[in-house]
Amino acid sequence: MTVKRWIILGLVALLGITLGRLAVRAFLNLLLGGTLFGGNFL
Amino acid sequence: MKTGKFVGICILIFIVALLIGIITKFVIKPSWAKKYSVRWSDEIGTLYEDIPYKGGESNKFDLYVPKDSSKKTYGLVVYLHAGGFTSGDKVEDRNLLAWLCSKGYVAAGINYTLRTEDNDKSVYSQSMEIKEAIPKVIEEAEKHGYKIDGITMSGGSAGGALAMLYAYRDAEESPVPVKMMFEMVGPSSYFVEDWEIYGLDQKSEESRKAAAELFSVMGGVEITPEMIKDGSYLNLMKPISAYTYINENSVPSVLLYGTHDKVQPYKGVRHLKNALKDNGVDYKLFVAEHSGHGVQNDNKVMKEYMETVEEYLDKYMPVEK
Repeated sequence: MTVKRWIILGLVALLGITLGRLAVRAFLNLLLGGTLFGGNFL
Repeated sequence: MKTGKFVGICILIFIVALLIGIITKFVIKPSWAKKYSVRWSDEIGTLYEDIPYKGGESNKFDLYVPKDSSKKTYGLVVYLHAGGFTSGDKVEDRNLLAWLCSKGYVAAGINYTLRTEDNDKSVYSQSMEIKEAIPKVIEEAEKHGYKIDGITMSGGSAGGALAMLYAYRDAEESPVPVKMMFEMVGPSSYFVEDWEIYGLDQKSEESRKAAAELFSVMGGVEITPEMIKDGSYLNLMKPISAYTYINENSVPSVLLYGTHDKVQPYKGVRHLKNALKDNGVDYKLFVAEHSGHGVQNDNKVMKEYMETVEEYLDKYMPVEK
């Protein structure tokens, strides 16, 4: 695999983790209230 | 590698990473939090479970006594569980109570009769159960050789509301002096204009009816929409409005609230803050600007709150050396 594809994979992984954590934050905010950003990092 | 295969790998990596992101959000806690969540063991002391304080099925408490029983007197920390007055149990706070016991306090978690569809329990009746429980907790501790000379009331959410009621309303009748109080996200006032999170501030017939129903259940009293309209409901809600009992003798307090709380209104906190301030009570109010009822998005604020709880415990109810 090329370096470019490894970088893309890395970014996809990062995006996945970020969205996963944001999804949980959004879900908890729906139940309890809160903001999507600010305070804790993700 | 063919492009199609690479795209497939990307999708797989994305899904796995998404799952990792979701799991880590629940599993990974900040390192400082571990200090306040101690797994109970016989190394810390002895745990006496489900001791009855009156006849009801729920009227039981757990008592945690430290291993060192040689001191003349001990401070008692009571932590009351959360659950919207309708759910929850003292076992949920086991790790926090274990931490308090590991510091050298006698600690207790007290259950109270939860409101269900089949009973007429209320915040008021629950607060009276706690009031009845405290002397029994002290008596039980002394039976095991731990003389109690002070008490700290604490809790979260519903437990916070009940802790405030004992600390501010009932302290004068406490068998031992109440030294301080700490709680998070507990309601202490019931002004309809503050309860917009449930639409009770709308000044409509429907809104007044909803407010009357909710506050009747919470207060254990009969409140009508007319009383909501003319404001007379506030007198009937006084017995569970902890902030109304704050005076110049009220105990030092550490409090934590989230500004985006969807469960109990942050707007109501101003009455509590003003009462504490106007009466010259030593208090610290922590505000989680990005969080709701779980204070889930402000770990830094939560850390400061817990550190201040420790500081206040050391100052107002120090462990005997």
